[in-house]
Amino acid sequence: MANDRGAIRGWFMREVLPLERSLTGYIRRNWRSQADAEDIRHEIYAKLIASARDRIPTNTRAFVFTTAKHHLINLARRAQIVSFDYVADLESLNVLAEEAVPERHLTAREELKRLRTGLERLSPRVREVILLRRLEGLSRQQTAERLGISVSSVEHDLCNGMRELVDFMMGGQAEIIPGPAHGIVARERKP
Amino acid sequence: MSRDSIEKQAAMWLLRREEQTWHEADQAALDAWLDESPEHEAAFWRLEHGQIKLARMAALAAPVRREASQPALPRRRPRRWLPAAAVLAAAMTAAVIELPNTGLFGPRVYTTNIGGREELPLPDGSKVELNTATRLRADVSRTRREIWLDRGEAFFAVAHDPSHPFVVHAGPKTVTVLGTKFSVRRDGEHVEVAVLEGLVRIDNAGAGKTPAQAIVITRGDIAVGSARSTLVEPKSVSKVDDALSWRQGRLKFHETTLAEAAAQFNRYNRTKLVIVDPQAAGTRIGGNFQANNVEDFARLLSNAYGFRVDADGKELKVSSPH
Repeated sequence: MANDRGAIRGWFMREVLPLERSLTGYIRRNWRSQADAEDIRHEIYAKLIASARDRIPTNTRAFVFTTAKHHLINLARRAQIVSFDYVADLESLNVLAEEAVPERHLTAREELKRLRTGLERLSPRVREVILLRRLEGLSRQQTAERLGISVSSVEHDLCNGMRELVDFMMGGQAEIIPGPAHGIVARERKP
Repeated sequence: MSRDSIEKQAAMWLLRREEQTWHEADQAALDAWLDESPEHEAAFWRLEHGQIKLARMAALAAPVRREASQPALPRRRPRRWLPAAAVLAAAMTAAVIELPNTGLFGPRVYTTNIGGREELPLPDGSKVELNTATRLRADVSRTRREIWLDRGEAFFAVAHDPSHPFVVHAGPKTVTVLGTKFSVRRDGEHVEVAVLEGLVRIDNAGAGKTPAQAIVITRGDIAVGSARSTLVEPKSVSKVDDALSWRQGRLKFHETTLAEAAAQFNRYNRTKLVIVDPQAAGTRIGGNFQANNVEDFARLLSNAYGFRVDADGKELKVSSPH
């Protein structure tokens, strides 16, 4: 029997998303193009959700990283720019050993500090829109009037600002957790 | 469809969902969009999760006063930004963090809709209960405890702290306590303070706190004031209880004119009672009613008191039986 959306959502938020930091680091260490990391992560999330429709895994962590590994291998094969060695290396990787760095949960103080930093990183106008709308509770119209911009600019800024803040809070753009010395990098296929 | 555009759509959905105009049809459209692809679900739930985290953290932050005070604007508050009381309560048991005064966070704003009620813990251990149609700003940390009641009514159970007086600014009046239980109601320049427990001091706002002008009231007292005067009603603990029955979602009347009762109900309901003739308006009634059920009250007026009730759109017109 297929799992209902509520159950999958609960599992995804409670067990998968807290791994985002580690997962992003894993992808970055094992894929040459750093810019693709977030796209790849997004695809992995979609795969996890699709699987969970049939069965919610018991060991989420192992399932996440195994799925990630297989996805990277598939991407590499499809891209056809890597040598045979890359795929073999990935396949031989002991996923759990790779993630020997333990999850570090931020304390409340650290999370707040992160929130402040996240807010400071926003452009001044986006930050102001967020604070007016969400902390002071002004309507879109009032925010637009206060800042002398259009309502659609307000919506646009709020949208982008929230995405940036969430990205930052989820830790996906954090400093890379240093990986083991034998980090694998995709190599060009020899003609 | 690229990840970027999917995430943009997810963000727009999330923001739209917080608007008060969100209807069932919108929810159906959102569900349909989520059904289209697990990529949509991934993007949406991730942002949703991030928002919840942000809201929880914002609740932990001890708010810091802005340099310039913001004018109080009438606003429509996206309610879902504020975490539910349960989440806030959980967050509040964590250590209270103080942010240096960078002007990043202004006083926290709390609001309720018509007929709404909300209970909120404050970082100092005090508790606030907001009544219907209320807007309140809080600047409460370890070093200061200040509230601005812009409109509506709130009940405060204040944690005892002699070194940091708890101050409520309500229009023309300033209410100061050390640790006590009381309510403040503000309607423009008209302010009412009812005391359940402890000592409450009422000053005129802005006045250099000359003791001679202050009054101190205690349990069973209700003070009613405006810019120039404050009147303390005869002490009555049961009257204070009646005045606070909204905390259980009830309205209690005892020899109350129908005009006054109607005015009370109209605070909690979008359907408004209109008392048509002066005779009806002056009739005294009593009883214990559910605040947000004006239809039941109108039925009772008709059945028990014989009034005539005509439903007319968003109004219930009440007139003397003839």
